[in-house]
Amino acid sequence: MFLRTLKSVFAAILLVFAALPASAASDGAQNGQMLRTWYRLVLELVRHTSNYSPPVASRAFAYLGVTAYEVTASGDPSLRSLAGQLNGLEKVPARQNGQTYDEGVALQAAMAFGVRNFFTHTGPTGQRALAAMEKKLGAKAAEGVAPEVVARSEAYGRQVGEAILAWSANDGGANVDNMGFPPDYKLSDGPAHWTPTNLIRIQQTPLLPDWGSNRTFATASGATCDLPPPPEYSEAEGSDFRKEAVEVYEAVNALTDEQRAIARFWSDDPMLSPTPPGHWISIVMQILDHEKADAARSADILARLGITVADAFIGCWHEKFRYDLVRPITYIKRLIDPKWETLLITPPFPEYPSGHSTQSGAAEVVLAAFFGENFAFEDATHAADGIAPRTYESFHQAAEEAGISRLYGGIHFRAAIERGLDQGRCIGAHTVKLVTRQ
Amino acid sequence: MKRCAIIVSGLLAASTALAGTPKFADESATAGIDSTFKGEWEFMVGGGVATFDCNGDRMPDMLLPGGELKAKFYRNIGTVGGPLKFEETQSGLELYMVSGAYPLDIDSDGIMDLVVLRVGENVVMRGKGECRFERANEAWNFDGGDAWSTAYAASWEKGASWPSIAIGNYIDRTQDAFPWGSCTDNWLHRGEGEKFAAPLALKPSYCALSMLFSDWNRSGTPSLRVSNDREYYKGGQEQMWRIEPGIAPKLYGPDDGWKVLKVWGMGIASRDLNEDGFPEYFLTSMADNKLQTLTAPAPGAKPVYSDVAFARGVTAHRPYTGGEIKPSTAWHAQFEDVDNDSLADLFVAKGNVTEMPDFALKDPNNLLVQQPDGKFVEAGETAGVASMRPARGAALTDFNLDGLVDLVVVNRNDKAEIWRNVTADAGHFVQFALRQPAPNVDAIGAWIEVKCGGHVARREIFSGGGHAGGQAGFVHFGLGVEKTAEMRVIWPSGETGEWQKVEADQFYVVEKGKLPEIWKAQ
Repeated sequence: MFLRTLKSVFAAILLVFAALPASAASDGAQNGQMLRTWYRLVLELVRHTSNYSPPVASRAFAYLGVTAYEVTASGDPSLRSLAGQLNGLEKVPARQNGQTYDEGVALQAAMAFGVRNFFTHTGPTGQRALAAMEKKLGAKAAEGVAPEVVARSEAYGRQVGEAILAWSANDGGANVDNMGFPPDYKLSDGPAHWTPTNLIRIQQTPLLPDWGSNRTFATASGATCDLPPPPEYSEAEGSDFRKEAVEVYEAVNALTDEQRAIARFWSDDPMLSPTPPGHWISIVMQILDHEKADAARSADILARLGITVADAFIGCWHEKFRYDLVRPITYIKRLIDPKWETLLITPPFPEYPSGHSTQSGAAEVVLAAFFGENFAFEDATHAADGIAPRTYESFHQAAEEAGISRLYGGIHFRAAIERGLDQGRCIGAHTVKLVTRQ
Repeated sequence: MKRCAIIVSGLLAASTALAGTPKFADESATAGIDSTFKGEWEFMVGGGVATFDCNGDRMPDMLLPGGELKAKFYRNIGTVGGPLKFEETQSGLELYMVSGAYPLDIDSDGIMDLVVLRVGENVVMRGKGECRFERANEAWNFDGGDAWSTAYAASWEKGASWPSIAIGNYIDRTQDAFPWGSCTDNWLHRGEGEKFAAPLALKPSYCALSMLFSDWNRSGTPSLRVSNDREYYKGGQEQMWRIEPGIAPKLYGPDDGWKVLKVWGMGIASRDLNEDGFPEYFLTSMADNKLQTLTAPAPGAKPVYSDVAFARGVTAHRPYTGGEIKPSTAWHAQFEDVDNDSLADLFVAKGNVTEMPDFALKDPNNLLVQQPDGKFVEAGETAGVASMRPARGAALTDFNLDGLVDLVVVNRNDKAEIWRNVTADAGHFVQFALRQPAPNVDAIGAWIEVKCGGHVARREIFSGGGHAGGQAGFVHFGLGVEKTAEMRVIWPSGETGEWQKVEADQFYVVEKGKLPEIWKAQ
């Protein structure tokens, strides 16, 4: 159990700028901290880049994680490349034999390249922050390192970054227009299907309807961990479907303070938070900070977590648009109580399965395999937003809570949550099989 | 013509509803204006224009901000009904690092003063007459601070002889790698005798880009609405402060019915659009904009608003011309009746922040013209104001006193543009300038009501809102086909004047306790 408040997180960031010793860039722990400093910026950029909805964010986490991992693994004989293990990643540039590299400089250069290129669309403040980060961390990494080694290491880091970027270009998710909402989209006919749930004009079509056909990382495709259909749509009293709706309706109407806190804690709204996949990244960063983990360990788990949440969103979206199920607010307002309101904002895409549940199930499996089944932790992801930290006895407990939070929030039926978690755990198992240690 | 016409004659309505098509002539090249709001990161927001009269001819002069360049003051040298003409004149307002400005007669001497928002120290500039100004921070004990100031609102609190000025601040500009969550506190400079007290920090502050004192519930005491940019706050939301004399400001919260709303708040426009006596608020943002209406308008109402932007056609969420489908970025907004049909229309200045590729780069300004059914229809292109330059601040005001509201727009890293309203088939109008004994000679906080064809149009007289700039001068009402109307003033003290008959197409000076007097340009 440990505590990481945002204050201490920022203190750690400042510490990186101030305390990276000369000639220490090769030190694994320092490099691990540097990597996590980049990730802290990435979490902010995810929050502040308008097209970074949860699926898009998960994709960036995957590619940046692989970037960090590959540049680190290439200099560490105990690590095995993910090339050949991830779909479409055949080869990663090798280092020149007999040449000296500085691990910190190479990692710094790779991350700078990766973050810059995966966040080309961020606004002027993000670009400014990115440039400041690159300048400060770059200077620190190069301190005390021979100029020719700096040049060689930077070039190699960029090469790895370029290779990962090139690999990402044709996965189907590289271009996101109009914040992910297609200008034209034909809604499915019938009351069982999704219909817009708010009066925001841009959200009258669903988010990223084709995301489920993107290339996956560790699973074969978006269909790999497919799901059975949701309970058959019905408006009849006593039907399974209506029972689910009544459960959501009654739950929201009788929320306890604890349930309300849970819903808000896992709300993770895009553009107001690091998004659901960013929430899990944040959890891992807090753990790694506490461990003072080195670059190899940090990159390994950040890559695995990125990969699994990215696969989870592809798999989840595959099923969402396969079943195209109506949201609780639509059904309940039409058939049960026209004045009913959800606690959370209903996301603008079909209901089944729950995206947060799917990716939380995947994260749970990957993190439990890495840190242990009964790893207790405290999560202060939203401290800066005034939301109190919560504690968990295990990743399983956290994932279950993330799942049920969507019912408390009024945005998902139970089946979407339970089967979403199932789907995520299935997807996570594929990530666990990746071999990173020789 | 619309509503008034409908009341008078259905046939007339049918024949004139399609008329009143607003038309604007671009006179940027001939009006004598040559000003650019220039700057990088610290001027990605701001760019507000102040319009006001400072030489007693009641023709609006203006201050255009320059950002990293000097602000430029332009004296209005046009003629009534003629082309727009300005002359750059040394005024003392030529400051650097100006992000916007608002006119306000702070010392109630009848000569307009200015509050100049800056990246750096804010400055109050005392009007000396004949469009000369001097710094008055020291004389009026105004602590200009050192921040990235981007919003302003002013009010005379009950019993005060000096205004209270709220200043909205943006990001802590010293934070480069992690600027998010670093919003500088907003300040409330309350009047204390005939000077300002030390500024009071309005905590929490969430990177305000617009502020407005408005009597939202018609209690007689305006509250301070603050529209905040969610891009930079953490744990923030839109805010409204209860500002009561002698009492510390207090935020409206859930117990009052205030609901959490998080937008990229950039500008506030206000008008009673549905004639319920309570103002609606238009909040500019990125992608969808909001139009808030009080859900249960009545004395003692809770501040619970519903968003009717979609229903009334003012989401203005993406460009309507130019071929781009990406979301828009909205800044200054202002309700004015541009075709004098008696219905308030809405102008929205649009412009990409800084080549943000997820938002439209060619983002035309909106001119949303209200229809008799209360919905708004886009007329920016047909009216000729669909500029693709990256707009920020703007002002709709009748520069040539011909009864038609003209338009000036400040563009970032590009030249300001100005249009003369040349709508050929516009309706009638009437305009008012209020006057009351000091303090608050311009009656900030008053309401003007105009009864016309069985309808009552209302305008609250405020100082603030928009995006970083405001207007002072005649208050305009369209009358449609009506040739007379009745007007009354609810003065800031709460005293309500008698209904007075006024003639169409006239300018009136309305002094408290006296009959409205027609004013004619010399």
